[in-house]
Amino acid sequence: MLFNAFSNPRLGKWIIPGTGLVWFLGCFLLLKQYEVGTEIALTDSFLSGLIFLGGVFVLDRVFGLFAPKGKNLWLLFAVPFFLSLMGTLVHSYGLTWWYAYEDDYLDFLSASFYLRWAILALAEQLVALLALVVSKLERQEETQKREAQMLQLSKDAELAQLRQQLQPHFLFNSLNSINALVVSQPQKAREMVLQLSEFLRGTIRKDSQSWITLEEELNYLKMYLDIERVRFGHRLGVEFLVEKELNSIKLPQLLIQPLVENAIKHGLYGMTGDVKIEVSGKKEGNYFILEVKNPFDPESTAPEGTGFGLSSVERRLFLLFGRTDLLESGPDEGYFRVRLKIPQFQ
Amino acid sequence: MIRTIIIDDEPLAAGIVQEFLAEFSQFQVLEVCQDGFQGLKAIQQHKPDLIFLDVQMPKITGFEMLELLDEPPAVIFTTAFDQYALKAFDAKAMDYLLKPFSQARFKQAIDRFLESRMEGKESERPNADLHHFAEKSNRLVVRVKNDIKIISVQDVNFFEAEDDYVTIHTAGGKFLKKMTMKTLEESLDAGKFARVHRSYIINLNGITGIEPYERDTYLVKLKGGEKLPVSKTGYARLRQVLGL
Repeated sequence: MLFNAFSNPRLGKWIIPGTGLVWFLGCFLLLKQYEVGTEIALTDSFLSGLIFLGGVFVLDRVFGLFAPKGKNLWLLFAVPFFLSLMGTLVHSYGLTWWYAYEDDYLDFLSASFYLRWAILALAEQLVALLALVVSKLERQEETQKREAQMLQLSKDAELAQLRQQLQPHFLFNSLNSINALVVSQPQKAREMVLQLSEFLRGTIRKDSQSWITLEEELNYLKMYLDIERVRFGHRLGVEFLVEKELNSIKLPQLLIQPLVENAIKHGLYGMTGDVKIEVSGKKEGNYFILEVKNPFDPESTAPEGTGFGLSSVERRLFLLFGRTDLLESGPDEGYFRVRLKIPQFQ
Repeated sequence: MIRTIIIDDEPLAAGIVQEFLAEFSQFQVLEVCQDGFQGLKAIQQHKPDLIFLDVQMPKITGFEMLELLDEPPAVIFTTAFDQYALKAFDAKAMDYLLKPFSQARFKQAIDRFLESRMEGKESERPNADLHHFAEKSNRLVVRVKNDIKIISVQDVNFFEAEDDYVTIHTAGGKFLKKMTMKTLEESLDAGKFARVHRSYIINLNGITGIEPYERDTYLVKLKGGEKLPVSKTGYARLRQVLGL
């Protein structure tokens, strides 16, 4: 529709009445130049303006909704042609009937019939083309919008999926631990059921896109670690080195837990004996920096398929920030270190 | 008395096996081990009839531990990983318990073990040749006297067949492992290793030259200075992989 041609919708409303007014004024001035009386000139141009307005309205409707193609292309020319012919006829007969006794004017009217038709036809032809172009652009814009929406949807879905990819390994082993505790230590079994439930609830949180505070994320992490400690007992030790002031910092959900899970996997499965994991956080400029360190034996090659945790975090960071330089990892003096940078916006 | 050993890195998981096993008076648990290293020592020391084995454990997996045993005992795998089931049955495991498992399911596994013991089915014993069907592996676990060494595949210069064993030649020394060339070949990345001869698989990275030897045969020179024979089919394979 033509009223969409302006990006400002308030201006768009005036586009059709505006063209009518311009048409009316143009006609009036022309008629005055041909020395037609003011009253007759006003009536003539008013009717002419109305007819033009009607034509614009019809053409806008027709070509705004229907784009002739191929075999139907002739309609693009035929419709304005006949519409303008009808308009000129109505105009001519109407005024002939109204001013039946103004001979001079009637002569002028009949003499100018073809000229009027030609001008109207040309103008309506242009309007028809314009309506077609505008509707094409509109449709294109809509497709683009839909595509962008679809992209956003698939992005959301992927994010949700990555976030929820809780390790079935972890889940089943935890259930096995509960199974073992039920008879010997029922109180502890119950505790673990609750911890596991809280943990699972965290991974399926609905408002998955919202950021949470570091304090919440660390609490969640501690819950996860409590479960892991039940499983591995004294072998697993974790130390947190995060300043209290940073507790209110915001970050995307569940970014830290996979890193710690990764550290546990490499720490506990890569080494025999006790394992201590260090989690530290600090602020550097506009970034919150989080580091996870686990002891690591450079001699032992990790079994295949253990890199999933890190690559999933990397993918999420890319989807969230469009950057690939936010996660670094590598061996560092007997430790394996993962460094996560989260941009902080004011 | 049926002598058993439990190998699991999670104390609670080992505990539940003990608890369920206590129902059967003829079983005796000799030792509970927390990783494959301890497990290997305990098995060599006690020669148990049956072991309960977790797969994912520190340092080496349950499968890798089994590969190191010359005469592996009957095995019941206990693990949370479904994806290992196929491999476990390929390893001719007695049974495969998915954690968490019920007491009834556990009893089933024990019954199966007792049945096969009555019938004396030797074939139900785990096969040391676990690499058959094995997925691509990036490491090899070998036994050096009483120690265990993990070798990264990329550090291997070449493999040499010796009867039932394969000698693994690395810059850091030679290691012997019980396995066949065929299964070894299947477990290696075909883009990095090539079997150039009935008895040799070489690391393509280590090739420094190829020279003609006798009619239709060649010699391949390696970084370490070794010259290994290349058979006619081996040469064709080598040409294909290297794009000559």
